[in-house]
Amino acid sequence: MKLGISATEYLSLVRSGEISVEEFVAKTIDRIQAVENKVHAYITIDSENALNKAKLIDKKIRAKEKTGMLLGMPVSIKDNICTARLRTTCASGLLENFVAPYDATVVSRLKQQDSIIIGKANLDEFAMGSTTEFSHFGPSKNPWNPEYVPGGSSGGSGVSVSSLECMVSLGSDTGGSVRSPASFCSVVGLKPTYGLVSRYGLVSYANSIEQVGPIARKVEDIALVMNVIAGHDPHDDTTVKKTNEDYVAGIDTGIKGKKIGLVQQMTGDGVDKEILAATNKAVSKLQDLGAECMPVSLGAVEHSVAAYYTIASAEASSNLARYDNLRYGFDFGTEGYEFKAYVSKVRSNFGPEVTRRMLLGAFVLSAGYYGKYYLKAQKVRTMMKSQIDEAFKKVDLLVAPTMPILPFKLGEKIDDPLKLYLLDINTITANLTGIPAISIPIEISSAGLPIGIQLFANSFQEKSLLQAAYSLQQTVNLPEVPL
Amino acid sequence: MVDRKEIEHLGDLVKVDLQDPEKYILQVDQILNYFERLDKVEHDSDKTLRKEISYDDLREDKYEKFQSDGKPLIDYLKKDQNNFVRAPQMI
Repeated sequence: MKLGISATEYLSLVRSGEISVEEFVAKTIDRIQAVENKVHAYITIDSENALNKAKLIDKKIRAKEKTGMLLGMPVSIKDNICTARLRTTCASGLLENFVAPYDATVVSRLKQQDSIIIGKANLDEFAMGSTTEFSHFGPSKNPWNPEYVPGGSSGGSGVSVSSLECMVSLGSDTGGSVRSPASFCSVVGLKPTYGLVSRYGLVSYANSIEQVGPIARKVEDIALVMNVIAGHDPHDDTTVKKTNEDYVAGIDTGIKGKKIGLVQQMTGDGVDKEILAATNKAVSKLQDLGAECMPVSLGAVEHSVAAYYTIASAEASSNLARYDNLRYGFDFGTEGYEFKAYVSKVRSNFGPEVTRRMLLGAFVLSAGYYGKYYLKAQKVRTMMKSQIDEAFKKVDLLVAPTMPILPFKLGEKIDDPLKLYLLDINTITANLTGIPAISIPIEISSAGLPIGIQLFANSFQEKSLLQAAYSLQQTVNLPEVPL
Repeated sequence: MVDRKEIEHLGDLVKVDLQDPEKYILQVDQILNYFERLDKVEHDSDKTLRKEISYDDLREDKYEKFQSDGKPLIDYLKKDQNNFVRAPQMI
């Protein structure tokens, strides 16, 4: 029995009785034990409960009782998404032992369909970072070369899927945090349209831009997970009331006749030559599949990093104000402290990136600077949205490299936050404008490191986005992860 | 240029006891300098994105008793034996 099968294959093998859920989950746990010390995908592993749940689902299958559609599929959850009974740390020292009293809606929807939460995946503290190096629990490592970063902030999610330590994972994408690790770890990652997937139970970082998104090894597995997690949630008023789509049905429709725009500002001088070559090759493949490709200009992209980090930092500084160690936090006596001194003391346990963003957020929102930074950033965001709207009047999809550079060595850029921020230039457009985007693996570089390509669609056009990604996936044949 | 006094003031605003303020001066300054480009963008409109939600579309604001695994919410809080959340003195 292979662990590296797609979710669709897994479901068919379990349904036919060729494998049991317990067998597959046990083998996944063995795999975690074998590779976890090399890649560090998880903060918490829930082996015992996972095996017990697997046995229960097998029993239901044998008794021909009704089961959920995911049939015990092992799933990892980014550790900023709340899970009842299993701690949710946000990779922060402040929440090291925090156990949420409820499941996030996306988690309860997965559980209702009998998926098994096998563990909580590592991330940059409070999802702030692009490399997973800013985790209180230590960095995750790229399974393609453990000396390299796996991307972030959902690095643990990307690594767990790529290393076959689970079948699919849920991450969160605020500025590319699902697509960056997907690209760096050679897996598929989707950032859905803002409002399509519930954020209830996702620990808030930048509410106006973040979305929960799935990571998997195949596009069709992403479609399957979207069928489970997408849809209106009365607990999250930003979710949109609309009829749920079946993303799996017709995924092989193809892209004949579709118009696809190559974003000029995302394929410029700053992009690595090998990535550019892989992107051009992918564009040729899209043309061979019957799509019409053309250049598209989105001028506002050059201001997007400044706008994004202004808005994200402002929202982060506001959201993180709640961590005062009184309602939840670590054990630290209050005796001898005045209120503000106590709160300031415990909050000094935030890591360097979180602290930096709070300082930036407080600055850009402060009197005298609000108009210069925050308001201007919001205007750039509006300009980007209007340019995206115009672009989608001419084309059905947009395409660009997911990341402008190849994965780099751990520690290489950690002391230069601006350099790290600039890596997000190709991903943040989807967050600032709310549109969906998917990263799929396209090539392995000459140094053996993954390259991903990104497709964007207009809001709520996930179905056609997944169809295009599936078509492109069918043209790609990549080696297995060398772990 | 952001100076030490300003960084310490920001630390005070976000209630973080900065152990090493010097570390943040150069980085915050460099990032804010980069943000300066926002000031030079030519906008064709002063509008900002805004989503209005009608009151009727909001969920009903009614009391729901919270129970998780049969445990009341208070059990999840850091608290002392008398069910008070213990805080440092305010003044």
